[in-house]
Amino acid sequence: MADFVSFYLMPGVVLGCIYALGAVGLTLLFGILRFAHFAHGDVMTVGAYVAFVGVVSFGLTAYQSIPLAILVSVLLVMAIDRTFYRPLRRASPIVLLISGFGVALMLRAAILFFFGPDGGVYEQGIRRPMIFATEWGRFRIQERHLWIIGGAVALALTLHLFLTRTRLGKAMRAMSDNPDLARITGIPTERVILATWAIGGATAATAGVFLAIDTQVNPMMGMNMLLPIFAAMILGGVGRPWGAVFGGLVLGIAEELVAAPIWGGQPLLSPAYKVGLSFAVMVLLLIFRPTGLFKGQS
Amino acid sequence: MSLLTVSEVFGGYGGADILQGASLTVASDEIVVIIGPNGAGKSTLMKAVFGLVRLRQGSVSLDGTTITNLAPDRMAHHGLAYVPQERNVFVSLSVEENLEMGHFIRRGSPRAAIDRVYGLFPDLAAKRRQAAGSLSGGQRQMVAMGRALMLDPRLILLDEPTAGLSPKYMDVIFDKVREINRTGTAVLMVEQNAKQALKIAHRGYVLQTGRNRVDDTGAALLANPDVAQMFLGA
Amino acid sequence: MTLDSLGLYLISLLTMGGIYAVLALGLNIQWGMTGLMNAGVAGFVAIGAYTTAILTTAPSGMHLGGFGWPVWAGMLAATLASGLLALPIALICIRLRSDYLAMATLGIAEILRLVVRNEEWATGGPRGVAGLPKPFTDLAAPYDQLAYLGMVLALIALVYWLAERAYRAPWGRVQRAIRENEVAAAAAGKNVEAFRLQSFVLGAMVMGLGGSLLAHNIRFIGPEAVEPLIATFLVWVMLIAGGSGNNRGAILGAFAIWSLWAVTEIATAQLPPELGGRAAYVRVFLIGLALQLILLYRPQGLIGEKPPRPLSRID
Repeated sequence: MADFVSFYLMPGVVLGCIYALGAVGLTLLFGILRFAHFAHGDVMTVGAYVAFVGVVSFGLTAYQSIPLAILVSVLLVMAIDRTFYRPLRRASPIVLLISGFGVALMLRAAILFFFGPDGGVYEQGIRRPMIFATEWGRFRIQERHLWIIGGAVALALTLHLFLTRTRLGKAMRAMSDNPDLARITGIPTERVILATWAIGGATAATAGVFLAIDTQVNPMMGMNMLLPIFAAMILGGVGRPWGAVFGGLVLGIAEELVAAPIWGGQPLLSPAYKVGLSFAVMVLLLIFRPTGLFKGQS
Repeated sequence: MSLLTVSEVFGGYGGADILQGASLTVASDEIVVIIGPNGAGKSTLMKAVFGLVRLRQGSVSLDGTTITNLAPDRMAHHGLAYVPQERNVFVSLSVEENLEMGHFIRRGSPRAAIDRVYGLFPDLAAKRRQAAGSLSGGQRQMVAMGRALMLDPRLILLDEPTAGLSPKYMDVIFDKVREINRTGTAVLMVEQNAKQALKIAHRGYVLQTGRNRVDDTGAALLANPDVAQMFLGA
Repeated sequence: MTLDSLGLYLISLLTMGGIYAVLALGLNIQWGMTGLMNAGVAGFVAIGAYTTAILTTAPSGMHLGGFGWPVWAGMLAATLASGLLALPIALICIRLRSDYLAMATLGIAEILRLVVRNEEWATGGPRGVAGLPKPFTDLAAPYDQLAYLGMVLALIALVYWLAERAYRAPWGRVQRAIRENEVAAAAAGKNVEAFRLQSFVLGAMVMGLGGSLLAHNIRFIGPEAVEPLIATFLVWVMLIAGGSGNNRGAILGAFAIWSLWAVTEIATAQLPPELGGRAAYVRVFLIGLALQLILLYRPQGLIGEKPPRPLSRID
């Protein structure tokens, strides 16, 4: 029991938080811009590498580097939007999707150019877990896992307050709900779009840093996230931030659990195919419940 | 001098023009109704005034300022508000949030304006926290009109405000239109329900194939046998 | 570089360009003609390449098979296998909105890549499958490659001819009608799903054929060859650059972009090694940028689509 929590449930929740942060941005962008941002995973990679620079070059800790990662990523996605996506606003969403595909490639190429293919870690050495001896057994919890979960919860709550309490946040929900009426009402759509990119960039960058804290920085890390965060978005209903958080948590926990040897000592799925789970969930949902578990935009 | 002047406009959604030289005026204290057969271009004319349909020729001016083909998101700044016939509320936002959105372009608190709208539609005050999508058709129409009234516009455009409503709600909406007009907002509306609309209207326009057919006061149009035969089902 | 080696280089450049032209034609059948967004071209390339590799190699303990089939039989099997894989995918995913279809096909391609990387017993894992037979090797040095190029060109001609015929036939007109306005096509009594399914499967078969050509050309197939960048993205850039919806555009785009890709490789090969490795990424970046510029400034591609007959009639 204690081992199960320490080695499978806890890492699952952590992975779920990272997916949730990625999916939240994706779903907001989808709601506002009506296109699937295929470069979202690579924005996560960018965030992780900016923090890597913070750690290696400026001697910051990974956590202290998060604001820097957010700042650079937000400015970057805003610039990308102005340069590449904005002129295509009236084109079909597929053209935007292809453009995003191209942006993903450019970001990855830039990362590879500056940092090489090998990746790296923020901190050398092995961190001993904190041990909590309780009547249910000895729980071994990594300190970084607590920070990641805490950070994700704080960010999600902040986002929730922004969306429900501020004028701009409400306008964002309004535009996602009914873009034509938003325009008729006089809501400045380009400003709302910029704000959405800011949130998307910030959450993606944070998710990237968290992922790299938990594992390592790697040029492919974001691309490998794309499928799960897309699945999480669909699971929660497109355009619904809390749905995306829920979807991310479910997928993260499920991925770790299927790799746990709880069924007769054998994992349900070879760890190499963990990502297949997200994919299976996504395809099943698309077939049977395309609007997600909670009704989202179709 | 009239508040809104539309003169001889031509335009449509690309392809053939739907509007073929329609003209109208609305004075600052009037309720004006556009009636006509299906496909006459009534809603298109309304959308064209608000910049939602591109005009190829002709002009629209509000209080002397030309607003022809201005972007719809600029119209609110000129004191013009538009309530579409369908999809006219933010369904996932609460009633009060819908109203707040109507005030978005103004700095400062929307409180006073919200209270004014609740004064006009007391039903909405009771449902302020409810999602607009969960309301009945009549209540949604009130939310939509309330949203448009948040900036205290000089002119409000209503596209078939009673479409699909029960007779009871229809009467309520027509009463509210009168009340809105009494508080100093001009009203231009398109109505299927021509008879009732003409009763509250100062003037009316009969539109056919994108052009004016008959213009007269509401009472005269009601009394006009041709109009009665064509549109009033008499 | 001597004249001989330059000639040989040119032949192999054209061969690779030609193989990509086959892939671009396959994608054009799906995207250009019917508007199906397949972001998993690499998956079908992989199926084609590995099918023929397993079937045509000599028996080996390093991977499944081989069965020593003749090359033509391997290529035929590759084409059919790709179509066979496409069929269930199409049955499941074809109803999806295009962005969901893109994500689904991308996911399938990624899973296939995981499979070829991890299932060593069948695919040789990261080592891949080596020693594929190459036709015409009994000919002397430049002529063997020249003959291979001839075969590729003949296959391009065949696929082009088939695609053009289909495009101009009533079948193609329905496909375009679906792309332009699915609802109207359905209202006109067309079974939209069946048409989309046919288009997806046919396009995938052409991609499988392209995959087999790729494997036999270099006599080897490994997981790197089916990376999304090389096997999916480049094909997309080629089709969009050439002009989607236009088969000649697909072929032209493939040769043009492959030449660009190859020329930048020569350029980066001249750089000192510590930069040379990195310069490969500059190439990728530039390809991505080229795509953006085409989307922004010439969305119709080098040669845009010229529909043979008006689209308004659906019959």
